[in-house]
Amino acid sequence: MTAFKKHTRRDALKLGGKGALLCTSAMIGTQFIRPGRALAADALAEGMIGGPTGFAGAEAYQYGPDSPEGRAVEAVKELAGKGQAPSSIRLALSEGSIGQLTKPFPDGAPSVKDLWEKETGVKLDIIGIPEGQGFTKTIQDISTGGGNYDIYSLDYNRLGDLAETGGIVNLDEYVAKHRPEWDDPETGYVGGSQGVSLLNEYRGSVYGVSLDGDFQTWVYRTDLFEDSAEKAAFRDQYGYELQTPRTWKELDEIARFFHRPEEGLFGCTDLRNQGWGYTNWYQRYVSTGKPNRHLFGNDGQPLINSEEGVLATREYVDSLDYHSPDAISWGWPEQYGNMAAGGAAMTCAFSNLPKFLDNPGNEGSKITGKLGSMLPPGRVHDDDLVRRSVLWFSLTASVSTQATHPEVAYLFLQWLGSSKIYSWMTANPSGYFDPFQLANFSDPLVAKTYHDYHVEVIKETVRRIVPTINYPGATALHNALDENLVAALTGSITPEMAMANTEKQWNRIVRRTGEEKIVEAVRANNAAWPTVLDPAV
Amino acid sequence: MTDASGATAMSKSISDTKGRQRLASADQRRLGFYLTLPTQILVLFIAVFPLLMQLYISMTDWTPLSGLNWTRAYELWAGFANYRDLFDDDRFFGALWRTFLIIIIAVPIEFLLGLAIAMLFMEEFPAKKVFYSALLVPMMIVPAVAGYMFFLLFQSDGPINQLLSLFTGSKVAISWLSDPDLALAVVIMADIWQWTPLMFLILLAGLLGVPNDQLKAATLLGASPWQRFVTIVLPKIKTIMIIAVAIRTIELFKIFDTLYIMTAGGPGVATETISVFIYKITTLELVWGYVAALALLILVTLSIVAALGMYLLQRNKSRASA
Amino acid sequence: MQRTFPFEIFRYGMILLALFIAMIPVAWMISMAFKPIPEWSALGDDLTWWPRQPTLDNFRFIFGQSTNDLIVELEKTAGRPILASLLASVIGTLIAMVAGTSAAYGLSRFNSGKNLPLALIQLRLFPPLAVMIPVMIMWTFLNLIDTWWGLALIYGIVTLPFSFWLMKTYFDEMPREIEEAALVEGCTRFRVFTRITLPMMAGPLASSALLVFILNWSDYLIALMLTTREWQTIPVYMASLSSSMTGQLYGAKAALGLIAAVPPVILGIAIQRHLVRGLTFGALKQ
Repeated sequence: MTAFKKHTRRDALKLGGKGALLCTSAMIGTQFIRPGRALAADALAEGMIGGPTGFAGAEAYQYGPDSPEGRAVEAVKELAGKGQAPSSIRLALSEGSIGQLTKPFPDGAPSVKDLWEKETGVKLDIIGIPEGQGFTKTIQDISTGGGNYDIYSLDYNRLGDLAETGGIVNLDEYVAKHRPEWDDPETGYVGGSQGVSLLNEYRGSVYGVSLDGDFQTWVYRTDLFEDSAEKAAFRDQYGYELQTPRTWKELDEIARFFHRPEEGLFGCTDLRNQGWGYTNWYQRYVSTGKPNRHLFGNDGQPLINSEEGVLATREYVDSLDYHSPDAISWGWPEQYGNMAAGGAAMTCAFSNLPKFLDNPGNEGSKITGKLGSMLPPGRVHDDDLVRRSVLWFSLTASVSTQATHPEVAYLFLQWLGSSKIYSWMTANPSGYFDPFQLANFSDPLVAKTYHDYHVEVIKETVRRIVPTINYPGATALHNALDENLVAALTGSITPEMAMANTEKQWNRIVRRTGEEKIVEAVRANNAAWPTVLDPAV
Repeated sequence: MTDASGATAMSKSISDTKGRQRLASADQRRLGFYLTLPTQILVLFIAVFPLLMQLYISMTDWTPLSGLNWTRAYELWAGFANYRDLFDDDRFFGALWRTFLIIIIAVPIEFLLGLAIAMLFMEEFPAKKVFYSALLVPMMIVPAVAGYMFFLLFQSDGPINQLLSLFTGSKVAISWLSDPDLALAVVIMADIWQWTPLMFLILLAGLLGVPNDQLKAATLLGASPWQRFVTIVLPKIKTIMIIAVAIRTIELFKIFDTLYIMTAGGPGVATETISVFIYKITTLELVWGYVAALALLILVTLSIVAALGMYLLQRNKSRASA
Repeated sequence: MQRTFPFEIFRYGMILLALFIAMIPVAWMISMAFKPIPEWSALGDDLTWWPRQPTLDNFRFIFGQSTNDLIVELEKTAGRPILASLLASVIGTLIAMVAGTSAAYGLSRFNSGKNLPLALIQLRLFPPLAVMIPVMIMWTFLNLIDTWWGLALIYGIVTLPFSFWLMKTYFDEMPREIEEAALVEGCTRFRVFTRITLPMMAGPLASSALLVFILNWSDYLIALMLTTREWQTIPVYMASLSSSMTGQLYGAKAALGLIAAVPPVILGIAIQRHLVRGLTFGALKQ
């Protein structure tokens, strides 16, 4: 719904009287302007057929005819010439992300939407979906034959469910024809074809185009961690130096140390609520094995009802000690709001948290310039440290079978999800799309928006990312785990019972969804887990 | 539909006064038919297709995940399996029980508070109108925003705890919405806050209908306030009391908006009422055949309850007039 | 009740207490609507009861003028949702009142539609969620998804039981002598209904309509299911007021909530006289 306010120089002038704050802080958007050079960038660079213009460095995002972007645009024009293109494509998109398509960035550039419309003549009609309503609205559109959208965009976990509805198009044919080059070793998805398989494919076929990278990333408050009084006090109490935690044990201790609710400071605020909290349980659970502990074995049997599952659950419950007393009812809006107000020492969130909160444009944030990021804590197994985080949510777009011109809809996604356009778009601070391709992580604009310190950590976190459940029945499986975890958090059941109940429910869901389908999907999912190990010391 | 009822109306009216006889002419029967027609159409419109479809779907394992259009749900024929599963579903019965719990706690409190406040408004007193209007305000607040405000009020560092700290003199830090029992209590408090005004409004209307001269006469005869209430007021407002309680019970059975925004049925399933349960299994688990079976079961049960209630009300009325 | 001095003290004391409790959430909403972001939520013990730096930013914000303190910009302003809520609720109320009142009269006077009392109770008892899928399929088929008239239609239907039942009790209690006198004078039966009966029913009509309007105006769930973008209503729009910069935009939600309280409050005050008298009518004649 809401997006970053575009800060123009006019705003800056208008605000000039407001004091020194603005003078010292460069505004995102304006900082990229270097008058003089901007003018030169108005035209396309030599040999390029399209891409953004009007700002310094724009040529990095322009493309020639034989590139994924170029081929997409040319193919649309060709189809339009034959009368086989629609006048507009209707894209369903979570409201928080719209800004990245509609707000020009950086200054002088066109918006992503305008550029697409200018190059292809096909209008882009973006239909905002309220947060949390995406799955409902999509299923509604498919099952009632509403035909309100040409492109759906949902979390990647739902790709299996969506494909099973028959409501989204198998894109294999288009992929073969237009060659999106997603697995390019220089610019493509992290993990190459394995990454593509994880984000875009279901049972060996492409059903979606990834437009997001929701790698859960840890951040901490540098002002607290670097404070010499805090450091001394911590050393006195725990006998080691205060630094970013490497293990869950250290995290627990540091969080307890900083937990001062009466002063409005919580130790850690990684989520504990229904629908999101279990991603943080995942991190604790999967690191109990080396290189990983899976949720399901390759035979389709749940592995969570075990010592490891109980251990992770117990830690997860005990950690409430250093959370907000309201943690069980807090979602990410409360988490972000609290963090912006300087209410926590550490948290784990979408990789975009620093983009929004360590941001001079966000005058409401008290932690601008006081944020650092760190790798996920882990567990020591012999000489190795297993640190894992999770990929959770992450928007993937799919073409509706009700679309009148599915090929054009796909071509738009190929263009939008290509390394050049996506890098340019993800750097735009007006929405939720996060970097996920190799090209994004080495992009100068992305580094400005997400901060150098953070991009490095995201890149390293991505190497330690395990996927969440993305096989059919994902929603029901997650929901079953979720409810039992929350019941354990509220003390209604013990960690042991939580794991036993979850196992029972998972077995039922697996039976109902079809064991064969799930076993196949579990194997593909497990194969995508990382093997990176860190040294224990 | 009108023939039978028209006939009874006629036979009844014929035995009545002269004027009534005129009311029952064929013309007027037709007028009666036309007057009720729009409502009949609207009721059929909203009932026929949805119920037939639910009946059909409930006999299948249809889900949107099957990739089938609903008309082809028969390919997933399940017979009465969904109905059998219902009776074995702890979560369903849990939700049902919680809904009843909310009703049996909230409705009596709303009723007693509404009645007590209404009795204070029986006579004229200065600024009565201002107080009266102000007390109705909670009912005018959109439940969605009430949900957000209650969420904030009951944060552990929120105003309610601070007020309690103020009154008790020691620091109160209750995690209302993270505790299963307290979360349910907050849900009930929110409902009482929002809908006691309606009880008050309806009961006050009833009380103002009690003839003042009878009350005065009773006072002169030395009746205590309690005697006056039981012998004069209560018989007059019994029906309206039943109506007020019935309205709130019916509406509370479906409780969703404020609750969903405040707790989304959580923590865990602590505030999961029947509507929240249906919402979750409809939008998350997508077991639509099951939802259909559930819908029909609820409809049949409620119909029996409603018919029974109407029968009792009728009997009560005819007894009162006899 | 006795009119003794202690009793008057007791009366005012109790009413003030009730009022105090009733006003806590309302006051919190009003206060929130004028608070700048830093005062929205408490940090530790530092809670803002009343805006320290009152601002109109929240109001400006939802009407599309982004303000520097809110640092976000809306894709959509509150204007359209307010219009959607007004159209759907007002027309929905009209449908319910017209159909319900005439049906109530038809049953009360001519004994037509004897199935309606039970059918309408069933309709109201039934959780709308339980038939949401068929209703969505119907609404899609009839092209009513995301239209204000589609919403108005379902609002009219789900609140029909209220108007019907309320009006039926009034018609049942209403003395028939006046109608009969008019008939003797030679009026047609329909004219008696429109010219004699309805005007006498102004109070009950107004109070029933207010109740029905409040129910329609409050709805979140149905609008959530049956709208997609053009005609989202106030509660649906309100739920989407959040941002990654500040979390939930409580101030904006409260400002919108305050605006949303205006129509029912104005209506309530306008018909205040009728509200008591209208609802009294049924009880008087018992």
